[in-house]
Amino acid sequence: MKTGREAAGRVEQATTMIRHHPELDILTEYAAGTLSLAQAACVSVHLNYCERCRRTVSQLQAVGASLFTAQDPEVVGDALLNKVLERLDDTPPLSYQRTPLSSQDATPALLSRLMAGDFSDLSWKNITRALRTTQIKTGDPQFEFSLLHIRAGGEIPAHDHRGSEMTLVLQGGFEDDRGSYRAGDFIHRSPEDIHAPRAFADEDCICLAVVDAPLRFTSWKYRWMNPFLRLQTG
Amino acid sequence: MNDSHDDRHQDSHEDNHEGTHEGAAKPRKSPAWSAPTGRRTDEWSECLVLIGEKQDRAAFTRLFRHFAPLIKAFALTGSTLSATHADELVQEVMLKIWQKAKAFNPEKAAASTWVYTIARNCRTDMYRRLQKFDTPLAAEDFSPEQDSEEPFMQLQSRRSAEKIRAMMGDLPADQKQILAKVYMEGRSHAEAAAELDLPLGTVKSRVRLAMQKLQVQFEHSLEAGLSQS
Ligand SMILES: [Zn+2]
Repeated sequence: MKTGREAAGRVEQATTMIRHHPELDILTEYAAGTLSLAQAACVSVHLNYCERCRRTVSQLQAVGASLFTAQDPEVVGDALLNKVLERLDDTPPLSYQRTPLSSQDATPALLSRLMAGDFSDLSWKNITRALRTTQIKTGDPQFEFSLLHIRAGGEIPAHDHRGSEMTLVLQGGFEDDRGSYRAGDFIHRSPEDIHAPRAFADEDCICLAVVDAPLRFTSWKYRWMNPFLRLQTG
Repeated sequence: MNDSHDDRHQDSHEDNHEGTHEGAAKPRKSPAWSAPTGRRTDEWSECLVLIGEKQDRAAFTRLFRHFAPLIKAFALTGSTLSATHADELVQEVMLKIWQKAKAFNPEKAAASTWVYTIARNCRTDMYRRLQKFDTPLAAEDFSPEQDSEEPFMQLQSRRSAEKIRAMMGDLPADQKQILAKVYMEGRSHAEAAAELDLPLGTVKSRVRLAMQKLQVQFEHSLEAGLSQS
């Protein structure tokens, strides 16, 4: 299994080959800040791969800014201004450094933080011989954020999804009846979609998956198995 | 301050391009844009640069008087935030602006977009705090790590942002209503559909039509046609 660092070097190369992007409504919700936390994290990771969607998002934020500046302003008194001015001394300016595009350590920082380490540091659970998975805590009460690891050439038996599913390929790739997906590709599936993904033969595939997990399931064990329960019964 | 302030916001959407707000209050120098580099010379960009470079309090005060009333409106729109929380949000956003002003680059972004993004992030964080989310992440962590460094791309993106502002006023009312729900009230498409008693597909298609009209460029995913409702 490849490490995050090895996967990292491919990010830049992948930017030119990305063919599967979030739909406009997902990017709009991302730009407006209304996506759930785990979904926003998934879109954010795609943006690290995809210059075109970054451009779209910046335009969608300009739409928000236009609405923002056109609002009817609320009255704000000088008392609040003075309060803020008094706090400035205790609020030293931050110096910001953006990651240059050619960064070698390209496992998206957001993901590294959530994983608190590398892919190999996570505790994986085997689902089938070809598939293992690990759940990553984001604090999102509604959506689960997990990683899937499919062995090279491995297939996930046909299954559908009980809720919507966002998938982002981090390493390697897979194909199903609709197409093939490589690092950076973003796939959004609605509940009725059925597919049987198969990892490319020459490399293990690691994907990030964000799925609906109804709150009524309290046991994490049960929750992360949700998407796969059906495939075992048929 | 508030009287003079309110005057600046009587502009209709048609006039809602960069520089409008200060333009109404005092005579405007030349366009807010100067081709071909397109460097922004509007008052709010200048304020942000002064704050970033010199921690200029006078510039900060000007910026506060302009943006704080908008941030407060943004806090109160369609939300359950109390007036106290709204004031708290104003403070948080303005202090963030003070802290981050160094990162503002007028070559890359309009001041209004930059401020809006900070306000959006702070509001999201406040919602999550109030709902007691247990998360290691702040909303600003979700911004992509890389910006386009290429000057041509930067110019293009500024131009399309300018176009968006100019064309906003021409949107049909039903499309504008949805955008306001989504952006200002912070509703998901599904929530907007429920509140307006519309099918989700209608909400999504109005958003798409609006973005097409505003000439937002986006990638058509290969399977977009298959998975749209
Ligand atoms: Zn993309």
